[in-house]
Amino acid sequence: MPDRPKSVAPPAVELRDMDKSFYGVFANADVNFSLARGEVHALLGENGAGKSTLCSVIAGLYRPDSGEMLMDGEPVAFKSPKDALAAGVGMVYQHFRLVANLTVAENLALGNPEVGLRLSQSELEAEARELGERYDFPVDPTARIWQLSVGQQQRVEILKMLYRDARILILDEPTAVLTPQEGQALFRAMRTLAEEGRSLIFVSHKLHEVKQVSDRVTVLREGRVVGEANTADAEPRDLARMMVGKDLELPTRAPNESIGEPVLAVKDLVVVDDRGLDAVDGLSITVNAGEVVGIAGVSGNGQRELAQGIVGLMKVTGGSVNLSGKDITGTSVLRTIRAGIAYVPQSRLGMGLAPGLDTDDNLALKQFREAPYSNGPMLSPKAFKTKGAELIEEFDVRGVRPGLPIRLLSGGNLQKALIAREVTQDHCVLIARSPTRGLDVGATATVREEILAERDRGIAVLLISEDLDELLALSDRLLVIYEGKIVGQMPASEATPERLGLLMSGHSEEQPA
Amino acid sequence: MTRRLIVEPRGLAPWWLKLLIPIGSVFAAMVVGAFFLAITGNDWVEVYQKMADAAFGSGRGFAETLVSATPLILTGVAAAIAFKMLVWNIGGEGQLIFGAITAAGVGIWLSGSTPPFIAITAVVLAGAVGGAFWASLSAVPKVYLGTNEIITTLMLNFIALNFMNYLVLGSFSPWRDPEATQFPQGRPIIENARIPEFFHRLDWGLFIAIGVAIIAWFVITKTRSGFEYRIVGDSFDAARYAGIKVPKKVLGTFLASGAAAGLAGSILVAGILGKMDPRSLDLGLGFTGIIVAALARLNPIAIIPVAILMGALNNAGPALQSIGVPSATVRILQGAILLFAVGGEFLILNRIRRPERPTEEAPADAEVSAA
Amino acid sequence: MNESVLMLTVMAAIGLGTGIVFATVGEILAERAGVLNLGVQGMMLVGAVMGFWATFETGNLWLGVLAALIAGAALSVIHAFNSVTLGVSQIVSGLALTIFGTGLAAFVGRAGANPLIGEPSRAEFTPILTDGLADLPIVGPLIFGHDALVYLSWIVVATTSYYLFRTRPGLTVRAVGEDPASAEAAGVNVSTVRYLHVMAGGALAGLGGAYFSLALVPSWQDNPIGPAGWIAIALVILASWRPWRALWVAYLFGAAGRLNFTFQTLEINVPANLLAMLPFVLAIIAMIVLTSGKRARLLGAPAALGIPYFREER
Repeated sequence: MPDRPKSVAPPAVELRDMDKSFYGVFANADVNFSLARGEVHALLGENGAGKSTLCSVIAGLYRPDSGEMLMDGEPVAFKSPKDALAAGVGMVYQHFRLVANLTVAENLALGNPEVGLRLSQSELEAEARELGERYDFPVDPTARIWQLSVGQQQRVEILKMLYRDARILILDEPTAVLTPQEGQALFRAMRTLAEEGRSLIFVSHKLHEVKQVSDRVTVLREGRVVGEANTADAEPRDLARMMVGKDLELPTRAPNESIGEPVLAVKDLVVVDDRGLDAVDGLSITVNAGEVVGIAGVSGNGQRELAQGIVGLMKVTGGSVNLSGKDITGTSVLRTIRAGIAYVPQSRLGMGLAPGLDTDDNLALKQFREAPYSNGPMLSPKAFKTKGAELIEEFDVRGVRPGLPIRLLSGGNLQKALIAREVTQDHCVLIARSPTRGLDVGATATVREEILAERDRGIAVLLISEDLDELLALSDRLLVIYEGKIVGQMPASEATPERLGLLMSGHSEEQPA
Repeated sequence: MTRRLIVEPRGLAPWWLKLLIPIGSVFAAMVVGAFFLAITGNDWVEVYQKMADAAFGSGRGFAETLVSATPLILTGVAAAIAFKMLVWNIGGEGQLIFGAITAAGVGIWLSGSTPPFIAITAVVLAGAVGGAFWASLSAVPKVYLGTNEIITTLMLNFIALNFMNYLVLGSFSPWRDPEATQFPQGRPIIENARIPEFFHRLDWGLFIAIGVAIIAWFVITKTRSGFEYRIVGDSFDAARYAGIKVPKKVLGTFLASGAAAGLAGSILVAGILGKMDPRSLDLGLGFTGIIVAALARLNPIAIIPVAILMGALNNAGPALQSIGVPSATVRILQGAILLFAVGGEFLILNRIRRPERPTEEAPADAEVSAA
Repeated sequence: MNESVLMLTVMAAIGLGTGIVFATVGEILAERAGVLNLGVQGMMLVGAVMGFWATFETGNLWLGVLAALIAGAALSVIHAFNSVTLGVSQIVSGLALTIFGTGLAAFVGRAGANPLIGEPSRAEFTPILTDGLADLPIVGPLIFGHDALVYLSWIVVATTSYYLFRTRPGLTVRAVGEDPASAEAAGVNVSTVRYLHVMAGGALAGLGGAYFSLALVPSWQDNPIGPAGWIAIALVILASWRPWRALWVAYLFGAAGRLNFTFQTLEINVPANLLAMLPFVLAIIAMIVLTSGKRARLLGAPAALGIPYFREER
């Protein structure tokens, strides 16, 4: 990494003593941060450390409770993203801020004061094309956003900022939705932009990415800045320690003793998605008792449809699903629950948990029809309380108060409650989608332990995730899903991020990478 | 760069706030009403006194208040059970009317010697069935085709109204009284099907209405089916995930809502009206029921006192005309009450506070190395 | 003979439909911004009564129009406050305003020493041209024989359509109705946009109401507009949120509403009450057919319609 001269120019962006809280909890406290011109500055920290909040403050989306912000040495106060955009700050969020039903050209034009009063579709499209070519990010300006792939949508997001000549770009976990190869292309683009004199903030929780692309790195933990360094001088061990606060080893699988009989057998499964396309396109897998089978893949390749097709939430139009020999293809959700399939969905709040109901009610969500929760047609409120208290204690779910809607619990506690319910019901299969996504280190550890405990109990575990670290740590066998089919399979001992990454982006192993 | 006030959602609202908001809304609405009365040259004190007097000041007045409240309890429950599940059934008007049509139909058709118990039960139940049927015209397209129920229930109100008018005013159908030559009237139902009065004009229908409200509350809070209902009302996806058949639940709730409104119609026909009288059935009882439900915060038990309040207001309307004040004053009050209640709901769901400084210290091992 | 019946029907359709056109286009603006306004009926009524009152007091029709616009907008501010600032249920807020507005209009019409009720209007909108171009066969009355407000309604439809689909502010509105979070992130002030469009909707509803009291039925009654406000709400969906389609659908509705008279003239004997049901039945059938299944996305509602938007989220 070339040595940048210590600039005498004031930092492009500087934050002093910034605080920001939500519902009485501090997301950022006493934050001091500075971004120099022309540098790529990484914000490192675990999930929940406050990186996104800090960026949202700089981008004008949130207004801080107190503190100061300066740009090029001058104090600024953004009342809204409009002010930030006008000052040249642009942010690409983890969840894209693109209007799905409008076209690429319309999204580029949105909110941009440069575009005149009158809209000319053809002008907009020409400009969009030209911009795309300039940065090697080709896009079809007439396409509607919902028609584009995730990677293409991200490109549109970046082009949106470049269209407004943003001098400061903030990228929030941009590689989460990309294959390793697409991630590399992004990093190349980032360096080009930095060489042009723009300043970039790159948010990540992945050390190797930070080391690769950034000039300087600031580490956040629990909302505070705990360290700042030149990337070249920083030791990965030190950075990791600053991130987590101690040398924490996350649980990883020990070689498993005994794998039992096949429990879940899926053959040639076909599931249709919301758009009427075959999201799962002739897929076959088998999961044995006491085994964790991990399925890796970039989001949008049929993972959701696979899980929901097995469980009965989505319609299966071909193939079969067998549970210990019994055909359960296409049965109702209630039957699959009773047959013994536990399911931890990706959206905790709003599927796995009912957000407005309290914790006890949620813990009874699947079992309420049976004793002790129910006595014939009547409920037994006492049972809700006692069983609830048991589970909350056993799984260390914090923040619970009687009658409190469960959505007010933190992400980690939500997931603990969800897992508590799923693993304590009578079951032989556990399907889990991205179970540690967005959780802090402590909760991640708990969830991982529980998954391994399930395996040890002889449950057949199907782990579907986009997080390679999680998959490599927990799975006995790894599969890769691409466009609705399984394109590769390997025992954990032979799995590497590179092999998985290639398969995830559609390269078959026979082709040269 | 500092901010002065933060608005954020509450976890649990204190019980006294949930009571304060509806009561406060009534007072605030009275202030608004007083304003309009004053600028049009009326003495608002006199007006409010007259209203209170008409509604509660005498035995007969109070009875009339309860008479007005009876259908409102039912249309209130109808709206509440639907709205709690985000089913926007604003067709209470039409469901009430169609319930009245069915009830009157049965009441006219039964033989005059049918024992009273059977006759009354048949007529009252017919109303529930009629209301449920009318609701199904919106419910089925909603559940199976995704058709917006706001529009369909709204349109069906007008269709039912015109149909009722047609039956009595526009044709010589069985619903029309063949002996009314001066002006078209609804045909009286058989005497045995009439619900007996017990206090001035107040009849036992009041207790049917109260009973329905209590049953609704009981089912929702104490039964397994009610638990499923609450889950669906909270999150469709979570309900499906839990194995609940959401379309069936939505359909069932929608039909129950229509049945409750239809019941209001049949109690009116079998009770104070004794026949299907178009003018007395087209009083906006369905919409007023929505006000009742919203003010009672969708709680079936709370609906009972609120319906009595609304009944009092409705009752006071005609009394106002005797002192030269438009009865529409009552509508202004009702609308204003609802507006304040809706706005007040904001305070129940959110709280406002000042930001505080962080109190913890930085983690002990924080390092700041030279850049 | 048949030709003149057709002409009469068409002219009546335009007459009956114009008030509804204003209200429908207004509601399209509000819904395009993502706010469902069920208070249209109330706003039309206050517009009708205030327009009537202003004209009655001053003798000036255009002051009446101004009063109607202001009255409708004023009532809609309440809805905007509830929906945008407080973020409470838009459905209940709208219904409350209808009840309030209906009561207010009846109150104003009957209050005071000399109530307006039953009085004929001091001035009314009449066709601008009574001869000359208006005498041309067919085209004459159809294009040239209308009163000023009808022409104004055509201008409003054309302007709104151009605004929504060919200008940047119109793009902004559409984005706000589809995905307010993304619009906000792109620098749009969602609250302001919603307030403005809800108020525009209210003003137009008021104007629509005034058409009834100042042009169509130029005297004051408790409810000169019938269920026009409710019809407008349904028409927005049938018109797929597009102003030009709203024009045609409103006229169709107007024609259906006059079917009674039309059939009488043609000596077809259908009971009036049943005919009165017809427009509503048609509306329901059209709703079911047009909005089910896959069509929904193409003819679709603004995705964020009816959902409150909160700027800072967890």
